[in-house]
Amino acid sequence: MVRASPRAWSTALAVLTLLAAGGAGAAEELPLHGFLQAASAYRLIRPDRCPRTQRLACDESFVLGESRARLEVDPRGERWGVVAKGELILDAVGGEVEGDLREGYLDLTFPALDLRVGRQVITWGVGDLIFINDVFPKDWVAFISGLPLEYLKKGSDAVSATGHWAGTSLQLVLIPRFEADTLPEAGGRLAFHDPMAAIEARRTDEPSPALARTEAGARLFRNLLGWDVSLYAYRGFFHAPAGEVEPGPRLRLFFPRLDVYGASAQGAALGGVVSFEAGYYDSRSDRSGRDPAVDNPSVRLLAGYQREVVPDFTVGGQYSVQVMEDHDAYVATRGPGMPRRPAARHVLTARLTRLLLNQTLRLGVFALASPNEGDWYAGPEARYQVTDALSATVGLNVFGGPRRSEYGQFEGNSNLYAVVRYAF
Amino acid sequence: MALTGRTTGLRALALGAVLLGAGGPEAAQPSAVEIMARSHLAMFYPGEDMRARVTMRLVSRDGKERLRELTMARRDIQEGGEQRYFIYFHRPPDVRDMTFLVWKYPGRDDDRWLYVPAIKLVRRIAANDKRSSFAGSDFSYEDISGREPEEDTHKLVREERVGARTAWVVESTPKDAGSVDFSRKISWVDKATALPLKEEYYDRRGELARVFTAEEVREVQGFWTVTKRLMKNVQTGHSTEAVLADVRYNRKLAPDLFSERALRAPPAELVR
Repeated sequence: MVRASPRAWSTALAVLTLLAAGGAGAAEELPLHGFLQAASAYRLIRPDRCPRTQRLACDESFVLGESRARLEVDPRGERWGVVAKGELILDAVGGEVEGDLREGYLDLTFPALDLRVGRQVITWGVGDLIFINDVFPKDWVAFISGLPLEYLKKGSDAVSATGHWAGTSLQLVLIPRFEADTLPEAGGRLAFHDPMAAIEARRTDEPSPALARTEAGARLFRNLLGWDVSLYAYRGFFHAPAGEVEPGPRLRLFFPRLDVYGASAQGAALGGVVSFEAGYYDSRSDRSGRDPAVDNPSVRLLAGYQREVVPDFTVGGQYSVQVMEDHDAYVATRGPGMPRRPAARHVLTARLTRLLLNQTLRLGVFALASPNEGDWYAGPEARYQVTDALSATVGLNVFGGPRRSEYGQFEGNSNLYAVVRYAF
Repeated sequence: MALTGRTTGLRALALGAVLLGAGGPEAAQPSAVEIMARSHLAMFYPGEDMRARVTMRLVSRDGKERLRELTMARRDIQEGGEQRYFIYFHRPPDVRDMTFLVWKYPGRDDDRWLYVPAIKLVRRIAANDKRSSFAGSDFSYEDISGREPEEDTHKLVREERVGARTAWVVESTPKDAGSVDFSRKISWVDKATALPLKEEYYDRRGELARVFTAEEVREVQGFWTVTKRLMKNVQTGHSTEAVLADVRYNRKLAPDLFSERALRAPPAELVR
């Protein structure tokens, strides 16, 4: 089956336009960059149960098997720049060809103002795979499937303006078109915990692109006594859907309102880098905690430390906690026999990175575990830069823990992955 | 700008050394400490600021080559003291558009930031070891931004000819032996320009480990500059040649250039 999404057409159009623009202003070096990439991930653990909506996850040995061609053009002048990154993806497992405009934006630079308009990746916060103030859309399917980490971040169609005054900067972001997280879903090739597995009829209500539905964010940041300090505010929606059963029965998935207020600081201390981040999640449609479908408001905290122990060997660790407000009200919404989440979720992470052979071989492992909920993830990886252009990566994504827990539900997607990339 | 007593001291030393050097053959020989202080300023602090396009050729023992191409900008906050470095990577493709910012402080760890354009992330880099390799090359961070002369004791061994030039030969020994990977360094410092023409680094067992040579020295806007540098690891056979092109001094680089703003959106003049 060949499917061309609207994103594919916009990509093709953008790439053609920019190729023409790049050709017109041909510089001494080829202005065209990108890569060819083949990626594959073999399922190591079979899902232990296969509801009808997840049959594919049980049948398919490969959670990933694809080739990608990426083209990037980025012409720029003194006060402007255009960046377009488009991909053509051949999905061998799903038998599809798809196009994707990963990024496509215009930059305008003024003496004290940077303006960026278009599809752009926005990254906030200081966590390592723990996101508090980074509320922007993510592709968890790419992460679970073993694609390179950059694919975890999705672009937002946004306008971003950053003003700079005397060392202090203020970024304002408006996102008129909502982009949800990409999560394992019914009918996909990833297994996940689906409490409503019996209901096959489903619909998703996305926030409509009206002005009142525009997401807005602000980040105020500066260097203060050697620390990078940021304050954040966000008004928008949860990017993972909530679900409620409608008559039929039918499962309605929707994105509840969410405001986030937070702060972060990162600086050199204790012979390494120390990070702190905090955020308050104001779940606006469930402030009382009595709505069983919608997450309660919560407080999220993170502390991290990273240090180069010996040259080319870096060790890092993080502790994070997420405290649910009105836990009693939440418990009251759970029927007898229904699983209950604790009021606080604690998470510990560790990352080790070793560079060898003049930094051409990188051995790394990232591990995450919740000591009180019992779920965990481990991702060891080896990447070898064969030449400046060619790299080869192999790694494991292993998930474990109780079936209903955040990472435990992905146990049946645990995989061995390999990625080969030729960049130009 | 406030000058610390130490910086002023270093300046006075360097100035004294220059005056002594200009005094003719009868002038008293500068001390090893004076020579190394002068050499440090000549190599790492010429001008108020500097920019250059650097091509690094990394060659393994079996002749396999890798290229790193980058634009480097430096701005001095204090002569002989605090400095800021901005680096934009042109090549290889997997690091293209990455930017790197270093705020260097004498006597304590640098602040380092790396910007990863694929995910628009500015990340602090742990910087407690200045002996780490820079971008996989045979140059360490200290080889690029300078090791403070005060961290070693210096001894003037002899004078010697290096090609057409006459050099002071100085032996340096780290005061804190545990903090570095070398036990001893021999420098050949050019008497005319104070630039290091050659350096030998001996490992903790006393074996020769790395050899630096200034392959090409040019005068740019009145500043003598090592425009071609070779660092060879004689133990692994790996070597790195760094060539500096388009070297420009005193461009009045704005302080703004050495900030998170520039990391995320490097100015056009540094990207070309």
